[in-house]
Amino acid sequence: MVPTSYYILLSALLFTLGVAGVLIRRNALVLFMSVELMLNSANLALVTFAMARQDIAGQMVVFFVIVVAAAEVAVGLALLVAIFRTKQTTDVDEIHSLKG
Amino acid sequence: MNWIIWLIPAFPLIGFLLNALVVRRERAAGILASVMVGLSFAATIAAMVVLEGAPSEAKRLTWTLWEWIRIADFRVAFGLLFDPLTAVMALLITGVGGLIHIYSIGYMHGDVRPVRFFAFMNLFVFAMLMLVMADNLLLLFLGWEGVGLCSFLLIGHYFDRRSVPPGINPSEAAVKAFVVNRVGDVAMLAALFAIFTNFGTLSFYDNPQLGISGYLDQAIVVAGEMVDLGAFGQLPLITGITLLMLVAVTGKSAQFPLYTWLPDAMAGPTPVSALIHAATMVTSGVYLIVRNHTLFDQPASAAPWVLVIGVMTAFIGATAAVAQLDIKRVLAYSTVSQLGYMVAAVGMGAYVAGMYHLLTHGLFKALLFLAAGSVIHGIGNYQDMRRMGGLRNALPTTFRLYVIGALALSGIFPFAGFWSKDEIIAHAWFDARSPLAAIMLILTSAVTAFYMGRQIGMVFFGRPRDQAIHGHESGVAMRWTMVTLAVGAVIGGLINLPGLHWLNSYLRPVLQEPEVIYTVGMGILATITTLLSAGAGYLGWKTYACDLEPRIRVGKEDPLFRYLGDLWRGMEIGWGLDWLYQRVFVRPYRAASVFLSDVVDREAIDQVLVDGTARGLVRLAHGLRALQNGYIRTYALMFLFGVILVVAFFALRG
Repeated sequence: MVPTSYYILLSALLFTLGVAGVLIRRNALVLFMSVELMLNSANLALVTFAMARQDIAGQMVVFFVIVVAAAEVAVGLALLVAIFRTKQTTDVDEIHSLKG
Repeated sequence: MNWIIWLIPAFPLIGFLLNALVVRRERAAGILASVMVGLSFAATIAAMVVLEGAPSEAKRLTWTLWEWIRIADFRVAFGLLFDPLTAVMALLITGVGGLIHIYSIGYMHGDVRPVRFFAFMNLFVFAMLMLVMADNLLLLFLGWEGVGLCSFLLIGHYFDRRSVPPGINPSEAAVKAFVVNRVGDVAMLAALFAIFTNFGTLSFYDNPQLGISGYLDQAIVVAGEMVDLGAFGQLPLITGITLLMLVAVTGKSAQFPLYTWLPDAMAGPTPVSALIHAATMVTSGVYLIVRNHTLFDQPASAAPWVLVIGVMTAFIGATAAVAQLDIKRVLAYSTVSQLGYMVAAVGMGAYVAGMYHLLTHGLFKALLFLAAGSVIHGIGNYQDMRRMGGLRNALPTTFRLYVIGALALSGIFPFAGFWSKDEIIAHAWFDARSPLAAIMLILTSAVTAFYMGRQIGMVFFGRPRDQAIHGHESGVAMRWTMVTLAVGAVIGGLINLPGLHWLNSYLRPVLQEPEVIYTVGMGILATITTLLSAGAGYLGWKTYACDLEPRIRVGKEDPLFRYLGDLWRGMEIGWGLDWLYQRVFVRPYRAASVFLSDVVDREAIDQVLVDGTARGLVRLAHGLRALQNGYIRTYALMFLFGVILVVAFFALRG
């Protein structure tokens, strides 16, 4: 059996990958994918702990996260399409009209 | 019939209210104001008739309108009092006041705001009547402040002008009169407090109907009481109260050292000078002392100080009058000097003589002021005597009336001033046994005659010095009021002529003063005084009408300046009290005000506190704007740091 720490390590790796993606990439679509990556790394951590502690609650939270993520993607992609229609770009650095 | 006495002050009050609220036209305002004062005069006569019917042991009419203040045992009634003393004062106020109102109809014709003028004149008459008719000290104080207010309002009648002759700013003169009077009024209030704490009442006399006791009826009780002044030792209560009253008198009656406001009060229209600053308001201090004579009769009272102040003021005022170049300022200093006579008289305990001089002075000084107003009016609002000269041909009636007023003021036999002034001097010499005071007063009388001779010489004799001036005689209303006053100035002495002493017997219920027994010595003294005055008057006339007349030039120093130099300069500035007050009080006060407004207010409060707060917020906002750059990645990064901080906090807390 693979040790729990391996899963957690993978989860942390994926999360860091997601954070780096959000901070570095300029394409809004890739940003979304990075966010999804972070969500799924969290999911991985949850199921890992659920298995390690023999507790079903962790797995339940994962379902919630998947549902929320799906909803978020739906809203987010719709926003993205709307932004692209008005600005003709999906580059987040071009979208800074809320500058103070 | 006692109710009749409240009509006396009611008429002028109605006149004031109507003029203030309803009337808009000059002529209507003038007639209304004059009629109201005339009705008040009629009511005074009627009240005097009623007073004759009162029992001789309590010869007074009282009428309580309502109870004004009631706190535990302390009660103050809004009550009017009419006794012989009030009667003569009210007669002077409404009589002379009425004539001056009629005169004003002519004098104020074409003025910028005549309705305001007449409204305040009526308010003044009302306040003055309240002052003399009050049956307690608090109500008297209401009138006392009321006349001060009207004086302020009327001195500042030309408040929109920067400067009126002789170079006075009317608003500043008004404020000056008000502030200087305040000094005396504080003392008056303190006297009120002292009487309240020690007697428990402010009423003058016992009032059996209301059950209020009067402090004048129990003055004997506190004769020996002392007031502890802490480190300053002890002071007899009576001394304290009378001293405070004396300070109040120096303010209102323009005595040394507070007389400086009166010469500047000439910034007001001339009828105001005649009514308020010569005939009535300034005499209220004398009235106050006479009304409270029971206190001043006590051995421990400040009466000697009253005498000293009076004599000093008489002399200082007369000498200052000699060197004035403005026709009204001469009369203003003359008023100061004559008030000194009255105060000196009441300081010696010669209350009847003081009242006598008050009444005759009210007549002839009002006449002089009105005649001066007639001159000013007739030559086109010039007041500088150097511009006048030779006006006796252009203004014959005014000239004759002026001479009558001047003779009465100088105390020449047989005019009114002779009788009243000589009674004071005789009292000083024979009864008060104070030859120094008597000699000072005789000298003052001579100086008085000199400056009146000088004034007549300068104004009416000599050659016309300003070709631009073409005098014309005043209208009928103005002339006839002056003639009436002139009749009073000639025969006014009758009211207390030796041998008749009507005023003395009339005032006896209030003052209980014995009849003066006239001796040969008094006759000799009076002869010396009047001869001296006549000589000085002739000298003054001769100097300015003949000898030195060619040296009087418009805009040049007075010819006597060459001979007297600094002494003359001192007299010209009223012996420098203004100069002193300017340096000791006015300038430090102004400097402090400038410091507070320019430094404390503008720099500290405006700049640092108000603007500083705003500027600090703007600067803070500039700093915070940099964070809000619109890039999502920056926000995400901050979010990340935030999360790391929170996680680190919980992780490290253990």
